[in-house]
Amino acid sequence: MLQLFLLIIHIAVIFVGPIFMIGIINRVKSLWSGRRGPRLNQSYFELLRLLRKTPVYSQVTSWIFPMAPTIVLATTITASLLAPIVAGYAPIKFPMDFVAFVYILGLGKLMMMLGALDTGSAFEGMGASREATYSGLAEPVFLLGLGTLAWASNATTFQDLVAPSNVPLLDLGLRITISLAFFAILMIEASRVPADDPTTHLELTMVHEVMILDHSGPELAMVQYASAMKLTMLAGIIASILNPIVSGDNVFLTIVSALLSILLMVVIAISIGMIESLIARLRFVTLPLYVLAAFVAVVLSLVIVTANREYF
Amino acid sequence: MLIAGLSLIAGMLGALVLPTNRSRIAFNLSAQFVACVCVLFCTIPILFGSASQQGYMTWSYPVERIDLSLDPLGSFFLTFSLPMTFLGSVYAVGYLEHDIKSTRHVGTHFALLTLVQFSYIIVYTVQNAFAFLVGWEFAAIGAWLLVIWYHRNQKIRFAGFNYLVSTHFSLLFLVAAVVIMHGATNSFQFSDFKEFLSTSSVARNITFVLLMTSFGLKSAFFPFHSWLPRAHSAAPAHVSALMSGVIHKAGLFGMFKVISLVQTPELWMGWYLIIVSCVSAFMGVLYTISQRDIKRLLGYSSTENVGIAGIGIGVGCLGLAMKYPSLVALGFGGAFLHIFNHALFKCLLFYGAGSIYRFTHSIDLEKLGGLHARMRWTTPLFLIGSFAGSALPPFNGFVSEFIIYCGLLQPVAELGMGRVVFLLVVALLALVGGLAALSAARSFGLIFLGVARDPSCVHPESKEHPLMIIPMVIHLVGILLIGIFPALGVYLVTQPTTLMLKLSSSPDAVLSEFVPMSLMNSLTFVSVILISVFALIMVVRFSVLPTCNRRHVTWGCGYTAPNSRMQYSGSSFSDPMVKIFGDLLRFITREELPVGVFPEDGKYETHCIDTVERKIFSLLAGVEKVADKAMRKLPEVSEFSFAIGLIALILLVCLVTLQ
Repeated sequence: MLQLFLLIIHIAVIFVGPIFMIGIINRVKSLWSGRRGPRLNQSYFELLRLLRKTPVYSQVTSWIFPMAPTIVLATTITASLLAPIVAGYAPIKFPMDFVAFVYILGLGKLMMMLGALDTGSAFEGMGASREATYSGLAEPVFLLGLGTLAWASNATTFQDLVAPSNVPLLDLGLRITISLAFFAILMIEASRVPADDPTTHLELTMVHEVMILDHSGPELAMVQYASAMKLTMLAGIIASILNPIVSGDNVFLTIVSALLSILLMVVIAISIGMIESLIARLRFVTLPLYVLAAFVAVVLSLVIVTANREYF
Repeated sequence: MLIAGLSLIAGMLGALVLPTNRSRIAFNLSAQFVACVCVLFCTIPILFGSASQQGYMTWSYPVERIDLSLDPLGSFFLTFSLPMTFLGSVYAVGYLEHDIKSTRHVGTHFALLTLVQFSYIIVYTVQNAFAFLVGWEFAAIGAWLLVIWYHRNQKIRFAGFNYLVSTHFSLLFLVAAVVIMHGATNSFQFSDFKEFLSTSSVARNITFVLLMTSFGLKSAFFPFHSWLPRAHSAAPAHVSALMSGVIHKAGLFGMFKVISLVQTPELWMGWYLIIVSCVSAFMGVLYTISQRDIKRLLGYSSTENVGIAGIGIGVGCLGLAMKYPSLVALGFGGAFLHIFNHALFKCLLFYGAGSIYRFTHSIDLEKLGGLHARMRWTTPLFLIGSFAGSALPPFNGFVSEFIIYCGLLQPVAELGMGRVVFLLVVALLALVGGLAALSAARSFGLIFLGVARDPSCVHPESKEHPLMIIPMVIHLVGILLIGIFPALGVYLVTQPTTLMLKLSSSPDAVLSEFVPMSLMNSLTFVSVILISVFALIMVVRFSVLPTCNRRHVTWGCGYTAPNSRMQYSGSSFSDPMVKIFGDLLRFITREELPVGVFPEDGKYETHCIDTVERKIFSLLAGVEKVADKAMRKLPEVSEFSFAIGLIALILLVCLVTLQ
């Protein structure tokens, strides 16, 4: 019964959450610019508008072009069923599912790149090249962080490894470090400042936006929605890592834990909005250093776990 | 098995002797088919649990008796080697269509393919080192002659010679190891080697390193891979496919065999294998992203995948050394399955590359483009092969890497600092996967998507040959089956892994204890969800939402005259990543820049060359300089006196040895 309740909340957060996460980010950015900003559910109306438009395809694209956004959306939905988002609950669990999570998202990224190369334009090729490079560098850091968490909590499933363990102080240090690293990775994966600017349309400065330059109508809606869903999913994972409540079978604690998760996700959205307003996007040549910083954070957490295991 | 061997020999002779090309091919293919059926008849029961078969052949000199044993390890390798070579021969009928219609004796080619199949039977069943070396040599010579099929081209001859020398280096190390083992045990039998190899001694450790070097040379581990890019580029597509997918797996078979003879390897052996494999995987994929020749790219990808399988073997070895049966099962199981999966998708990719070559007469990425419109079969086949090569779900490359990840991430308690190294290997595997995805996007995107970059590659009369498509489709079926139903792959590798598990601390364990059916079913479940969500979205999108009714030019930011050369090229696509890892790669440039007041056309080419090969050649050049200087110092001798001196020396040596 409790599992069914959590499943319904999970599905609701996956499908409705992206709208509000984007809405919160845009509202925060507007407030920092001194404007009132759009409604919180504005992106719902944007997506609806796009779904009603007739798309125009380029003359050189093949059957891969309309299929790519579909695969991106399908992989994002499937991966979000594997990820613990609300109250540390994931609908599908099996040993080492976090590896499947990373690779399913990888399939989406590859299809996105192929859809971009299909247009035969230099701009989309540039976007695909950059996306391949930076997400290729970010994936190992992410998987190393998940592996460290798995070692620390002696767990094998995604849901178990984000669950709080019973050595609180060490756990706190570990989780804060990993959350910071994952937050940096979220910036890259969800195409946010300082890795990529989602509002620029100067061709030489885009990564994700330039890959979808030729997409229109329902294809564009699917890609934007999938991108927002990925943001929600990664924010949910960070929220689950930081969530200290062990709910078990207690209904009250589960509800509190779910509300805390959603609150943490809102806080993450607000901080993304603030970072986007206050910090400029990094130069592309320094992005590898940014990934290296995240890697150093994960290695630091690995050192924490090793020290704990070896000396305590 | 005897029938299979005789059938192959008959096939070889028939291919050489019969009058017309068509009859030679027909006879040879039917002989190969008969051999495949016989072999599968013997090996599949063994893979599903029945006992190993033993036998022996009497021979005269230098060994009186050759023991043959068909154990799960050998039968696993035989099960995929012979049918895939048969499919390669079928592909060859399509690929060599032009040669078949001409007066060239194509039977030689098919006879060589049959020779290579015969060598598999020898290598994977004999228990005698001498016969093993003979089989090894058959495979090497057969592969060399197949590589230089278009021997009128000097570059191809050189590539073949390079390959011949490297494979004989591997033979050299193997012979050295056999000599040491023969000296210790005074026999050529593997069962006698087992006692020598399982007791720890300095000689044993040296032998182990020699054997691993030999198998590393054969299977193209880094830094012994330098023959690989030239050989794969020069050989006909199906020969590259078979070399990459099947023939060079004999090196990995050798590694498994050695470990099963060593029985309890020491810790350093496992770590050595893991480190060599990690370097191999990383350098392999790094070279992949910068190549412009499709077949070289796929060759380096073989180095990468053999590295991944090697990581599995290393994990299994550590499991044997530290007595963790879970690591043994997951490491070796993952390695076995990865070898099989790699054969499936790599052959598919090479067949696709051959199809592209026959269609456009070019294998240069920088000149191709837009082939999706006319190569309707090859495009989806190559696409799925690329997905499988980047280890993406729901295809088979993911399944074997998943099992290796399970091995690396096992919550094994007393591994200590080893656990940290395993986690770093996990990160490296993820990086290798990311780079492989980059390479897949680059190669597929540049060849098939967009517009043709060089119009001279567009031949309006080219067609895709059906005999080239059919083997690709069969491989695709294998990829999809194992990808969506990984339980099938696990069934296939259960018996060989159980053989290795017998050496571990829990000899009665089976693979399904560590890779439970529930896990495989979960992977199937996830694949099914992915495919159904995709299908649902496609249905909704194309029935309910508006579809495209108008095509227009690609948005070029207002530029009115875009041409195909403005598309992203291969070197630009991999440029950001290459700049990051730049010190490990080496590029040469050839330029003729326009000069003067009225400049002519200029040109500028970059090629990524193999660093190891460059170093070997510069070393040889240095040695040649030294030898040249030394020879200049010797006085001039007439040939007659030189011959007399040589004969005298030989007579002296004979007299001394006969004393």
